Amino acid sequence: MIPPFFFGSLACLCLAILSGRFPRLWLALVLSGAGCALISAAQVLGDAGNWAWEASFTLGCQTPQFLVDGISALFLVPVSVIGGLSAVYSREYWSDHHHPDSAPRGRSWSAALILGMILVLSLANGLHFLLAWEIFAISAYFLITLDNTAPETRKAGWLYLAASHAGTMILFAFFSAVAARTGSWALGPMRDQAALAPLFWLALCGFGVKAGLFPLHVWLPSAHANAPSHVSALMSAVAIKMGVYGIVRFSAWLPLPPGAGWVVLGLGAMSALLGIAFAMAQNDFKRLLAYCSVENIGIILTGLGLAILAMANGQAAWGRVALCGTLLHVWNHSLFKSLLFLGAGSVLHATGTRDMSRLGGLWRFLPWTASLFALGSAAVSGLPPLNGFVSEWMIYLGLIRAVAAKGPVSGAIVPSVIVLAAAGALALAAFAKAVAIIFLGAPRTRRTAPVQECGWGMRAPMLVLAGLMLWVGLFPAMALGPAAIAATAWNPGWSGNVDIPVFHLGSLHLLLACGLLAAAYVVLRKVSRNGLRDSLTWDCGYAAPTTHMQYTSGSFAGIVTRWFAWILRPARLVRKVRGQFPEKALYLERTPETVLEYCIHPLGRGVGLLAEGAKKMQHGRLHLYILYVFAGVVALGGMAFWGGM
Amino acid sequence: MEVLDILARLLVWLVLAPLLPGIINKVKAWVACRQGPPVLQLYFDLARLWSKGVVMSTMASPGFLIAPAVAWVAVVAAAMLMPLGRAGCIFSFDGDVLLLVYLLALARFSTAWGAMETGSAFEGMGAAREVSFAVLAEIGIITAILTLALESGSISLASMFTPPPGPGAALLAVGLFIILLAENCRVPFDDPNTHLELTMIHEVMVLDHSGPPFALILHGAAVKMMLFSALLVQAVLPLAHMPLGLSLAAMAGGIVLVVVAVGLVESLTARLAFRRVPLLLTIGFLFCLFPLLLTWMEGVL
Repeated sequence: MIPPFFFGSLACLCLAILSGRFPRLWLALVLSGAGCALISAAQVLGDAGNWAWEASFTLGCQTPQFLVDGISALFLVPVSVIGGLSAVYSREYWSDHHHPDSAPRGRSWSAALILGMILVLSLANGLHFLLAWEIFAISAYFLITLDNTAPETRKAGWLYLAASHAGTMILFAFFSAVAARTGSWALGPMRDQAALAPLFWLALCGFGVKAGLFPLHVWLPSAHANAPSHVSALMSAVAIKMGVYGIVRFSAWLPLPPGAGWVVLGLGAMSALLGIAFAMAQNDFKRLLAYCSVENIGIILTGLGLAILAMANGQAAWGRVALCGTLLHVWNHSLFKSLLFLGAGSVLHATGTRDMSRLGGLWRFLPWTASLFALGSAAVSGLPPLNGFVSEWMIYLGLIRAVAAKGPVSGAIVPSVIVLAAAGALALAAFAKAVAIIFLGAPRTRRTAPVQECGWGMRAPMLVLAGLMLWVGLFPAMALGPAAIAATAWNPGWSGNVDIPVFHLGSLHLLLACGLLAAAYVVLRKVSRNGLRDSLTWDCGYAAPTTHMQYTSGSFAGIVTRWFAWILRPARLVRKVRGQFPEKALYLERTPETVLEYCIHPLGRGVGLLAEGAKKMQHGRLHLYILYVFAGVVALGGMAFWGGM
Repeated sequence: MEVLDILARLLVWLVLAPLLPGIINKVKAWVACRQGPPVLQLYFDLARLWSKGVVMSTMASPGFLIAPAVAWVAVVAAAMLMPLGRAGCIFSFDGDVLLLVYLLALARFSTAWGAMETGSAFEGMGAAREVSFAVLAEIGIITAILTLALESGSISLASMFTPPPGPGAALLAVGLFIILLAENCRVPFDDPNTHLELTMIHEVMVLDHSGPPFALILHGAAVKMMLFSALLVQAVLPLAHMPLGLSLAAMAGGIVLVVVAVGLVESLTARLAFRRVPLLLTIGFLFCLFPLLLTWMEGVL
């Protein structure tokens, strides 16, 4: 029963690309396309098993092959769910009324993005995979630059395009090397061909750029921050998961080089810690969310690295737990991160600024957004009884079981557990900061325009996401099933029941949720009975507190940014009050994009200088050109003469 | 039968916990040759607060009232996961110890939320410090858990404390004691006696709370104190190998001993200079790391 749904979904999305001018038709087509994709994924994750299909025609001298197995289906679920919800959200957020020029364009490209991602997940031919990858990468570029009047957005778009194509170039090398060594573009399990092992490093780099692994993440913060929020949600929740998909997929198919597990584990742990340290230092809330994606990709890869290690050592006991946690975290991250980005979009829509130091006290005007954003923040900090905790707990469980097993690897896993713990606590700090600075306290600047809560068109997708998060958090046993199927697809040797006490966790989560609700009810009732009086903030007796005395985003993060100053390299501009007629005091702090500004930019300038130097050879003097030709011929002749001997 | 067991434990935690701050205050008074408040003072305070009205900042949302309730439920839930010597736990599964750590994180998140509600500089400062220093405290706790997991080969609280404590236990005790002081906001990290001090962490976060929510905060803090003391005592004493009555008595004695030690530290040392707080927390982390290395080396050799 899969083919009609799957091809139906492709057809709907193709039509949706063409119907960007007709919003209702487009929405119906995207939703039915996403729904069909979801149904086919659900069938694979249910009991239908893998689905493979080969066309009878050729495209670019290759027959198109489709393969949807547990891994593809697991990634198809967030693509279709978040794709559909962000389409609903964009109706109000990026309406034709406010963006008459870019809204139709945006609709076409977002349908193309979803289509590209579905194709990436289901194609099993290297050449077609690359084509789909390009559709996906380029439509993301056009979506990021939807609002192409802002120079910052255009710059972010270029950076994304350059980084994405650097990654694609590596992938071209990877797929053609695989094709050259196996003699075919068709992809499938290649574990028995040991000569392919070194190619895993190419895949890790190429897909790592897209996933936003720490040193390769340079494009991610500015692209996610400057894109319209429904696009940021789609990009951060799903598009970077395509990079994760590539790494998961090819770690399952390729033979792995000996150190692969350690490298993935180490990169993941580094990405988790530094990603969240950078997030903590941001003042722009969308940038904070973007850096938090770097952290979560790090958590995902830590779990994957552990699974690779476990496979190499034949340790199903902890490898499978970690892998299930990893794959479940893919779902969970896409749920809470899209909720947070949609919430951020609602704040941006209402206030027009992304700078947290200008916000504050928004809960009064945006009660829905505030509570949903708070729920997302709690989930991303890994707090029980929400979904983030379930998957992080499973990854921890794998890690600590590996340590407790006292095997040859146990001692070396200890640092990654400690790093993950630090990253978890930092995530809590970063999101306590985000939610508190945006929504709590008093407004930090005087607003001229009234702030309005978003309408149901934007609220409903967020509510659906919150519901899904609660579902995974309170009934984790139901979400573990698909993850376990995908884990078996990753390593067919690991089958049968997974030893994770997820049922116990789920029942405790339910109890906890009931306890929380009951306690909140009792306290509110008791307080209203005892009497509630409003007054100024007491603050140990300050008579006239002003909003300028509040903690700001920078001061909240101060302690942590000082610990990480070695990599954050915050730049400060301070002007103190001094003299009899002092000028206005000033304190500005800015956190640069360290990797971009201290590594990539100097490198780019070096290339530019080399190119400038090469330009001198183009001077227009004919006799010197003849000299070049002569020298070239002599050199070729020499090579032929001595080389031929 | 199980329901009775759960209720009995809940009662033990809820009723006995407020004794501990009373004991600490008695110890401090004894060292200073004062009479001091009665040991049961906190019970009176709680009863008084529970029946009082609430003054709420005009800036605060209803979350200001709910946050203390969330924190209290999280701490009590964490306490219910803790085994009681030979009596073991009621619920136990692989990885419940991580749930305990993250329940404490939930309490921290909601306390910080409550603090930020008021828009006051003091409370913002407290919240920022609390969530930042918790990073160091949390890696200390995770390291201690790793040590116990490596010793016992298990990651459920029920069986984590069963192996007889090795030579590393003394180090672990010191490490856990330092973390206990930090997480429970005692001297030398924080001074529970003062409010208007710029070096405060926890007390300053709850400045604006009053009435029943404040009662929950005080009671939750007492439960948390008992929770950490119970963790420390079980990590160090071989309670699982004693008969039931003796193990419970030893546990109670151990907890009282820890609390007396907290009181003595509070009487005899000054609060640490604020910039040195991370240093002491790192020392606590290292004290938890060394036994881990010791246990690991034993396994290798």
